[in-house]
Amino acid sequence: MQETNISAKNFEQCQKCSICETVCPVMANNPAYGGPKRSGPDGERYRLKNGIFFDDSLKYCLNCKRCEVACPSGVRIADLIQQARIDYGRKAPKLRDMMLASTDQMGPVAGAFAPLVNFSLGLSPVKGLMDLTLGIDKHRTLPKYSSETFVHWFKKNAAAKQDAFRKHISYFHGCYANFNYPQLGKDFVAVLNAFGYGVHLIDERCCGVAKIANGMIPAATRDARTNIAEFEKAVSQGRDIVTVSTTCTMTLLEEYPELLKVDNSKVKDHISLVEQFLYKAIASGEVKPVWKEGYKARAAYHCPCHQERLGLGIFTTELLKMIPGMELTELESNCCGIAGTYGFKKENYKYSQMIGKPLFDDIAAQAPEFVACECETCKWQIEMSTGVPVKNPVSILAEALDLEATAAANR
Amino acid sequence: MPVKNEFDVIIIGGGITGAGTARDCAMRGLKVLLIERHDIATGATGRNHGLLHSGARYAVKDSESAEECIRENKILRSIAANCVEDTGGLFITLPEDADAGFGLDYQQKFIEACTKAGIDAHAISPAEAIAMEPSVNPTLIGAVVVPDGSVDPFRLCAANVTDAAMHGAKILPYTEFLDFVREGDTILGVRVRDARSGQESEYRAPVTVNAAGIWGHGVAEKAGVHIGMYPAKGALLVFGHRVNNVVINRCRKSADGDILVPGDSVTVIGTTSTKVPFEECDHMEVTPDEVRLLLREGCALCPALASTRILRAYAGVRPLVADDSDPTGRSISRGIVCLDHETRDGIKGFVSITGGKLMTYRLMAELATDAVCRKLGVTQACTTAETPLPGSADGRIESVSKRFEGKPSAGQKGAAGRQGDLVGKIHFNTEADRQLVCECENVTLAEIKYAVAELGVRSLGDLRRRTRVGMGTCQGTLCIRKAAKALAEALGDPSLAPKLAADYLDERWKGMRAVGWGATLREMEFMQRVYKFEKPYSYDEV
Amino acid sequence: MMKFDVVVIGGGLAGMTAATELQRSGLRCAVVAAGLSLHDAPRRDFKAAGGTLLAGDIVVSGQIEGGRLVSVRTEKLGEVLLEADWFVLATGKYFSQGIVADMDKVYEPVFGLDVEYDEDRSGWFDPSFAAPQRFLEFGVKTIDGCALKDGSPISNLLPAGEVLAGLSSAQGDATAAIRQSALDAVAIIRRK
Repeated sequence: MQETNISAKNFEQCQKCSICETVCPVMANNPAYGGPKRSGPDGERYRLKNGIFFDDSLKYCLNCKRCEVACPSGVRIADLIQQARIDYGRKAPKLRDMMLASTDQMGPVAGAFAPLVNFSLGLSPVKGLMDLTLGIDKHRTLPKYSSETFVHWFKKNAAAKQDAFRKHISYFHGCYANFNYPQLGKDFVAVLNAFGYGVHLIDERCCGVAKIANGMIPAATRDARTNIAEFEKAVSQGRDIVTVSTTCTMTLLEEYPELLKVDNSKVKDHISLVEQFLYKAIASGEVKPVWKEGYKARAAYHCPCHQERLGLGIFTTELLKMIPGMELTELESNCCGIAGTYGFKKENYKYSQMIGKPLFDDIAAQAPEFVACECETCKWQIEMSTGVPVKNPVSILAEALDLEATAAANR
Repeated sequence: MPVKNEFDVIIIGGGITGAGTARDCAMRGLKVLLIERHDIATGATGRNHGLLHSGARYAVKDSESAEECIRENKILRSIAANCVEDTGGLFITLPEDADAGFGLDYQQKFIEACTKAGIDAHAISPAEAIAMEPSVNPTLIGAVVVPDGSVDPFRLCAANVTDAAMHGAKILPYTEFLDFVREGDTILGVRVRDARSGQESEYRAPVTVNAAGIWGHGVAEKAGVHIGMYPAKGALLVFGHRVNNVVINRCRKSADGDILVPGDSVTVIGTTSTKVPFEECDHMEVTPDEVRLLLREGCALCPALASTRILRAYAGVRPLVADDSDPTGRSISRGIVCLDHETRDGIKGFVSITGGKLMTYRLMAELATDAVCRKLGVTQACTTAETPLPGSADGRIESVSKRFEGKPSAGQKGAAGRQGDLVGKIHFNTEADRQLVCECENVTLAEIKYAVAELGVRSLGDLRRRTRVGMGTCQGTLCIRKAAKALAEALGDPSLAPKLAADYLDERWKGMRAVGWGATLREMEFMQRVYKFEKPYSYDEV
Repeated sequence: MMKFDVVVIGGGLAGMTAATELQRSGLRCAVVAAGLSLHDAPRRDFKAAGGTLLAGDIVVSGQIEGGRLVSVRTEKLGEVLLEADWFVLATGKYFSQGIVADMDKVYEPVFGLDVEYDEDRSGWFDPSFAAPQRFLEFGVKTIDGCALKDGSPISNLLPAGEVLAGLSSAQGDATAAIRQSALDAVAIIRRK
């Protein structure tokens, strides 16, 4: 009769042990935030009684999901908080939030005028104005937009060659690789091609994480439905979906069904992070890497929060450890503080930097040549705050592999 | 032994009936003493569903009860706004009910009976029922909407006691009735013992009212009077959160476990009905069979209960009374029984008020007070139906919350929901006062201090009944120690804290034991660890 | 498939003690820790020794062949199984769900190991909160340090800590006994 007692998002499995409070980076720094237990499972009981118990301070949650990793009871604490913001926080999103959130719509506009936009984004008076009018903190260096998007480059330079490969995958590049850092996409194509996989693009929309965080749920849901339909098409062609962004991946795998109620069950098992995909292929002997002679690097791995939540960081570290000449250490698991668009907001900037401090100190102490990290927003934050370069594992592989020899070995 | 004779009426029993009678008597200008051996609301008053019956449940079989209920339902909504929640109710018909002869024909009969009793009842389609209450069993074939609600019996009882006191009544909790003081056939007063000091005293009044619920049987025996009472145990389960927001009943002949009530932050299923010996009434344990029955029936109302955490189980004893007109004692009256023992048994100055329901307490109090006034020659009319209880002038959390400066905190909103418009008496002055003691139920130190100062709190159980401290998911795992310290300090004796905590832990433990599996058992292990092994692991270098 | 010398299931005191000890003695060790323990120090020590920590992941099933546990499947890694010569089961009691009670029984949820418990629920609890509680004595059975399933030992699955019958920290300080149970498992692994 009562074999399990599991409520939605497991919220009443909460035993009130409060360990989530000890790992919450916001609670440690911002006294206005009640913390994950009170905002999540405790708050939920009272919100079910009366929506008046919804508390505005839930906006301080940066959705790093460290509480969920720490919870011994499997309570989806951060999801509860995001869900409450969706269900009860009925205020229309601010212009600023809409701008920060619409990564795929702002991207093309900004990209067309990239030199101008990047120039003006860097100017102090412009930043001051944004600080005042939009509430984007002036200390932030906004992500630069590239003048040529990855997709544009791909169509022009790479698309035609892809059908010649024996094996094929679909690449979900995400907004960052497309608009801000096409080199990551180029590295991805180079590495996957070297391993003998043809890379194909789908008609992708933004995964929606920023829209969810900024309360634009209908728009996020529309995008999610389009993406899932595209994934289903790819899977029916026998192509797995390979991703580079941990946050996009977490959104596709976890937030779609949990928060947007978009069913991903048909494609879930076919979505993998590139590190996971390559580790499996190499470990099973499916593909064979040929490494560059004399490659040497000393890197420290920072596991992004959403990678912690996905629990797939082990694939990245095991993959990087395969590189001869790679001296890899792991940084203590800490949040960098940026959390997507969160750290860009004026009201969060101070806390964002306070949250990141333990990580920045750890990086300073280890003084690696570079930090290895799968997440684009961590990269902005760490580079801005420490000056140490951050490299995506795919870019590291592109440097460490003898691409031609690898291609020959995997033809 | 000190003898005090400054009262017009002595009321035995601090349940809702005694509290309501004290209020009514006091409002009619009588000098009132209320004695209660424990805290108020510790008997059947605090051990039921907390259902604000519309009366629909009784409409077919007992139209008199149904009419009483709907009248009192409307009165309580207006006089006890902060104790009542207008959830609405559904009476659902399931396929198996139709198979058992309670199909849609019966539903029609049910609606007609409701209408005749003055209860607004109308049928809706299964789809409409699911839209109104998504957790309802989706296999239902019919549903009727009725004006059920939920009522917090603790707060209702406390509000009556508070109002009685504001009208000059003397309230003596933890005062045990020992015996009557009598002269021939006349009851002159009562002999009592202070449960803490052991000190015995005597109080005198021309009339004594027995409002002791099932224990009224024993009280009457002391006067040499027999009331044919029938102790009927009713077991209930509390679930971890509000699974439903509308009361769900079965549209069939009343049976066990067929009412699911959302009350405050939880949902309650009940109840069973078993005759128990009088000597067991003080020690009710819920049995595994009762738990199984309640779960089975609960799941028929709301399938989600199969996967919802059960916080605890509890049981109360209904004070049912055998009909005086039936010499076999087998015929049970479900209605209100008000006995003037002078006309019935030749004992002067003694009235018993029993039977009835939580719902009809005010009417019971009115009848008892009428009887008292007749004896005293007082002609004041009853005004309890028109006068709001303390805290109830404004009962909406939304508007009460606006009384705070700035944005109200969770603790302030929680207090607004519980204490109604009396929140102004709670002083959220310091940071410590604003801190939550009970995080599950949003109870602040300020509210605890208020309860001690204004609501007659002596134990953590008393505090729980006024504030919900320790009633949430963790059942006090996180707050009992803090609450005991706060209470002991507010009582002026910090050394009381360990004993306060130990008593409350045993009480919480009792309710959890009956449902000790799954998430509840996890909590029980955690609770043992928190209170028996304070020191966390020390991790030394291996 | 990922291959380790030892996979430790559970990241509490017993699990981290065993894992750190084994990792430092040169064995390649992975810990699957569902939920974090309150203390950072054990985690840091283990990682500093080069151990692999799978935080927030749980073992959902195991592949048992010929009286040995061959590999385990975790929720997050899915089809990539964790293979090892030895497994230490340090999943704790009810709170951490090393054992689970439902209305009718107490069971070990991952492998279905043999659990010692009273079928009659009436003796599980003492009415006095402060008294010793029988339900805290329940836990998995062992023979020569190995777990049992259907009465037969699983020769390379070693329970340690509070998952064991008779060992609980909820009645008072059991730190020493828990640590010792972990060291006992380490000693068995080192002997072989």
